Amino acid sequence: MIPGACERTLPGKSSPTSHHRQGNRPSGGITAKRMSHQQPQSILEELPGDLMIWVLIISELLVFGAGLAAFLAVRMTDPTGFAEAQTHLHSTGAALNTIVLVSSGYLAARALQFRRVSRRTAARYAVVAAAALGVVFLVIKGIEYGDKAGQGITYETHPFFTFYYLLTGFHAAHVVAGIVLLLLVAWRDEVGNIEIAGAFWHMVDLVWVLLFPVIYVLA
Amino acid sequence: MRADSLDRAWIILIVLSGGSAIAASLAGVGFDRRIAAIFVLLFALIKGRIILSRYLGLSQAPTWQRGFTISLTLFCLLLLGLYMIPAFMV
Repeated sequence: MIPGACERTLPGKSSPTSHHRQGNRPSGGITAKRMSHQQPQSILEELPGDLMIWVLIISELLVFGAGLAAFLAVRMTDPTGFAEAQTHLHSTGAALNTIVLVSSGYLAARALQFRRVSRRTAARYAVVAAAALGVVFLVIKGIEYGDKAGQGITYETHPFFTFYYLLTGFHAAHVVAGIVLLLLVAWRDEVGNIEIAGAFWHMVDLVWVLLFPVIYVLA
Repeated sequence: MRADSLDRAWIILIVLSGGSAIAASLAGVGFDRRIAAIFVLLFALIKGRIILSRYLGLSQAPTWQRGFTISLTLFCLLLLGLYMIPAFMV
């Protein structure tokens, strides 16, 4: 019998397949029909976790997506200037930051798995380690910004740097928010809390994965 | 100890990040930048799909996973198109 099938049968009403449960073994077709009753009632129920975090994730992706598309659209007016400006960036540091963030995301995902099987201490360690890698990301980013400041490069130097500071700065602000969220859920470690903070952190990770090639490689 | 799907996802993400760095460095030493751009965006697309699927759990929601994959693919194609236009004009 499929787990949960009984819960979906209303009291006092017999299930269309109840005669199978009383005696005959259900055929594959009947099993498939029963399975169709197990499908989520709406497509929104299919989404893992809280619906609102997905609204946030999609909104953020649209905002950053528009920013990246605008960056490349403005680049069309001065491709040589954008290419020259990009030579001032630390692509190695940014590539290292990609590894830092995807590793941090791994730890956040692992923390949720640990918490789901009630390994609370392991989950807390994983969440704190994910937040610590977030701090490493910010330190590398800070070194990069410090280097730009040392070269006298500001957001007004070239349109490339206007987008660079806008997009990477906005992303760094999300990293800060994500670190705060992760530390909060290390303290209040309910499964739902870790799931939501983890989803936010993965969104930050996803944005960086798209932002890195456009800002640091393609220009 | 056998690696589970999360371990595999993380390893693939690290490998693809290295692949992006290599493609970027090849473009700096004379390799065709347009081809390098295709690889870099392809790697970004695959990485994005893995994060959505394995980290965010969309592998449990195939309809949404398909929707996100299609949207990400179209977005990467848009980025590639915007990148290529000046390359063909030069």
